[in-house]
Amino acid sequence: MRPHRPGIRWTSSSLIQLLLITNTVLVLYPILMMGLSAFKSTPELFRNPFGLPENWNLANFIKVWERTNFPLYFRNSLIVTSGAVLLILVLGVMAAYALARYRFRGNELLYLFFLSGLMIPLRLAVIPLFIQLKAMGLINNHLGLICIYGAQGLPSAVFILTGFLRTLPSDLEDAARIDSASELQILLRIMLPLTRPALVIVAIYNLVPVWNDFFFPLVFLQKESLKTLPLGLTVFMGQYSTDWAVLFAGLSLAALPVVVVYIFMSRQFIAGLTAGALK
Amino acid sequence: MKGTLRTLLIALLVAVIGGLALAQTKLTFWSWRVEDADEYNQIIADYQAAHPGVEIEFVTFQASDYATALSAGLSAGEAGDILQVRAYGAFETVAEPGFLLPLDDKVPELQDFPELAVNGERLRSDGRVYAVPFASQTLLIYYNTDTFDQLGLTPPETWDEFLATAQTIKDAGIIPIANGTATAWMDEVFTGMFAPNFYGPEFFDEVVAGETDFTDERFVGALAKLLELRPYMAPDFAGVDYATAQNLFANGLAAMFVGGSWEIANFRDLNPDLNFDIMPGPAAAAGQPRLVSSFLDGGYAVNAASKHQQEAVEFVRFLATKQFGQQFVDLLSNVSPIPGVEFNDPLLAKINDFNQNATPYVFLVGFRYQSPTGSTLIQERLPGMFAGDIDPAQVGREVTDGIATYYQPFQD
Amino acid sequence: MADRSSNKSSPPAAGTFRLGRRAGRILWLACLLVPPILFFVVFLVVPIASALIYSLFEWQGIARAGFAGLANFRQLLFEQPWQDWTTNAFWHNVIVFITLMIVQNGVALVLAYVLGGEPRGTRFYQVVFFLPVTLALVLVGFQWKLFLNPLFGVVNKLLDAVGLEALSQPWLGQTSTALMTLILVNAWRWLGFPTIVFLAGIRTIPREYFEAARLDGANEWHVARHITWPLIAPAVTIIVILTFIGSFNWFDLPFVMAGLDGPPGKATDVLGLYFYRTAFGEVSAGLQDFGLGSALAVLMFLFILAVSIVWTRVLRGREVELS
Repeated sequence: MRPHRPGIRWTSSSLIQLLLITNTVLVLYPILMMGLSAFKSTPELFRNPFGLPENWNLANFIKVWERTNFPLYFRNSLIVTSGAVLLILVLGVMAAYALARYRFRGNELLYLFFLSGLMIPLRLAVIPLFIQLKAMGLINNHLGLICIYGAQGLPSAVFILTGFLRTLPSDLEDAARIDSASELQILLRIMLPLTRPALVIVAIYNLVPVWNDFFFPLVFLQKESLKTLPLGLTVFMGQYSTDWAVLFAGLSLAALPVVVVYIFMSRQFIAGLTAGALK
Repeated sequence: MKGTLRTLLIALLVAVIGGLALAQTKLTFWSWRVEDADEYNQIIADYQAAHPGVEIEFVTFQASDYATALSAGLSAGEAGDILQVRAYGAFETVAEPGFLLPLDDKVPELQDFPELAVNGERLRSDGRVYAVPFASQTLLIYYNTDTFDQLGLTPPETWDEFLATAQTIKDAGIIPIANGTATAWMDEVFTGMFAPNFYGPEFFDEVVAGETDFTDERFVGALAKLLELRPYMAPDFAGVDYATAQNLFANGLAAMFVGGSWEIANFRDLNPDLNFDIMPGPAAAAGQPRLVSSFLDGGYAVNAASKHQQEAVEFVRFLATKQFGQQFVDLLSNVSPIPGVEFNDPLLAKINDFNQNATPYVFLVGFRYQSPTGSTLIQERLPGMFAGDIDPAQVGREVTDGIATYYQPFQD
Repeated sequence: MADRSSNKSSPPAAGTFRLGRRAGRILWLACLLVPPILFFVVFLVVPIASALIYSLFEWQGIARAGFAGLANFRQLLFEQPWQDWTTNAFWHNVIVFITLMIVQNGVALVLAYVLGGEPRGTRFYQVVFFLPVTLALVLVGFQWKLFLNPLFGVVNKLLDAVGLEALSQPWLGQTSTALMTLILVNAWRWLGFPTIVFLAGIRTIPREYFEAARLDGANEWHVARHITWPLIAPAVTIIVILTFIGSFNWFDLPFVMAGLDGPPGKATDVLGLYFYRTAFGEVSAGLQDFGLGSALAVLMFLFILAVSIVWTRVLRGREVELS
């Protein structure tokens, strides 16, 4: 099952493990501390940042549940995020496939056109976006947000997917064409499965910022019933004082679904990676 | 006959229901005071009981992004009916383009408000008032009464006494002053709290008129005095930010905290067991009055594009009444500028006294109307000054030069 | 290197169109490209273009006044204090980019290379290293701010515990360390992403290449330099360009950890922060000027675009298709 090894024979096997373990500690220790701090009270956060919580009380989580309509916000976030990621993947694959596998006039220009969307702070456009969405009737509407995130995620999706699609050899395509397969069939049956790792990368790359964004929901969702999770959690961020412990508890809860999704998808992702190498 | 009667009854029912539905006006009230949602909702509930047919929804936005939401909403004509707005320069940003309704003719109660308060919501270009002031804030020193009692200290009155008090506290192993320099706007608050006692009560009017500028000995001298406080601030104060300082004081690890009157509610929330009191900044020398910096925090305005102007104005008029002012003071522990309000809370009553010797918070009130604002200029330089990288004279010079790029009175 | 465009001589897709090869191809491409382009134009290009046009006008706060031509640009580049702010912020972004390339991407490359050899526990490490990327940036920012607190923070307490009190300092409060600290937190947070991307790139290299090289007696360094490195060029392109764009648009982390004005005293000010506070104002200090903010965004965009084009040309030239 070992496709290849960079041929490391000398003891750096233990050196390698050292490196990996060091990095693991550097990654997990802060995350562990983050998790622990959700069980502390705010004064305790400042008094006892290091140690275990004095009492493992769920007071923070209860406060989050009471002060915010957590299930509602969760549901809203779910709708907006899955809609946006789906849109990004579908549109991204379409554009990337065309740009990567076909030669036509204006290909490079179009590629740069999409890429340029990455280079601007999107918050700049908040005022024209507001006016435009209002004209389209998409203020106070999850669909409006989904469309904005879709357009926002498209450049990076096109960028990453084109990069990967470009590297795929064309023999499979050619063979399929000789076998009279339609372009659509080639895309769906052959090329798409090969890009699975890239799709997962794009999905996660966009999933996280969309799930955690509170800026666009702040401006475009003025109704309480439509609020997303991060926006709902800002109720703990007062003008002059922030209830840190409760905020951390809320943020940790909000982060949990993404972590879970990631752990699931990583299995898919690893399978995709190894499949690609073994072909 | 029966058929006609039935039709008539149905018609009547529809008319009544329709009438009731029409009579139910819905207003939205935008604010950045996320912390005060419960209290405002209580006040609104009382108002709705007294004014059937009006329903007001209190909508909050995170304070740091309120301006963005307001800009976007007003530009597209989709903002709340009643809007909480800031004062001075930030207020003009919103009022100048005509987004707000002038209120001086519609809210006669404004005539009785103190001049200083109303001026914060007055547009300089047409002299009209566009918002009802809601709170004034004063800068002062909070101190832990338990710690003071334990160390046998009395609140200091002069600068030298203040330093001696701080030394005693430090010797006892407690941090004298909780503040650090990591949060820029709190640096301005820190300066604004101590400085007036060194530059004196006439400085503000003189500097605004251009008779002097920030290179004035009085101002530079005030800045230099601040440097004497460094040994008494938190260790590694360069990295101590606003939240840390608040927590240091609330947990009793620091004995004093320099801040605004808005902290009263914060400290009570952070640590209900904390026993604290307030005092104005120390006088430069014995016998001199103790000045405090004060400013208008903001006001309540009516959206000029509101579809329910009449009801909105009516509500804002209520927000100018003594009845509301009393509720505001009692529930939210802030100082309302509404005349006749009683301060039952001893701390608020004290602040009201301190305000007899108030001078405007210099940069916010006088120099935040154009960019680069005085606040930005001074906030950029204070951390460096406390770190010893630049001296007070240079700070005064650079602030003056920055303001002089647009401020006529400085340009001669 | 096979010709990527394989349509010139391939037979038409059977049973789909009777329109003929060329028309069928055009239709297919249109089906693929029109929806994304339409979407992109309506929800991104048009609003951004409108906002960029705002830069040509004089603004009084949030109301548009008269046409101003290039006045806003001139103000940003040649008038004080904006000129100082602009250059200061710009150089900070350059520092951010260079440091991230070395610290974040360099380490990621090493990690990916090591993991490519499938050492024990690879799957575990893969999942773990990517974890910080899945966390909300706000959570990461706030928590690290707490860790770095000079009085209460874990970092200084740890340093004290191991006897390195001398190093215990106000990391975010000193002009000398503030920016670097933010960059390192960013690296902590994002390290997993380039690691995974590089790893994916390494995994697509057929093992025959490595076996052949080893049979030829090549040592580790030789394999890395002449086989792995060139063949992961597409992954490198992606990471370099994303890092470049990300470095110059950097906003969220410094906003959460430092503040809108890039404290202390603008030591952590970057173009992203500068843009936001210019366009939307800063609650306790400055006023908003939407025209000026838009002009800054235009300048940022033009710069990023120009350099990205150069990067793309340089990096794409290195990409090799495997066949």
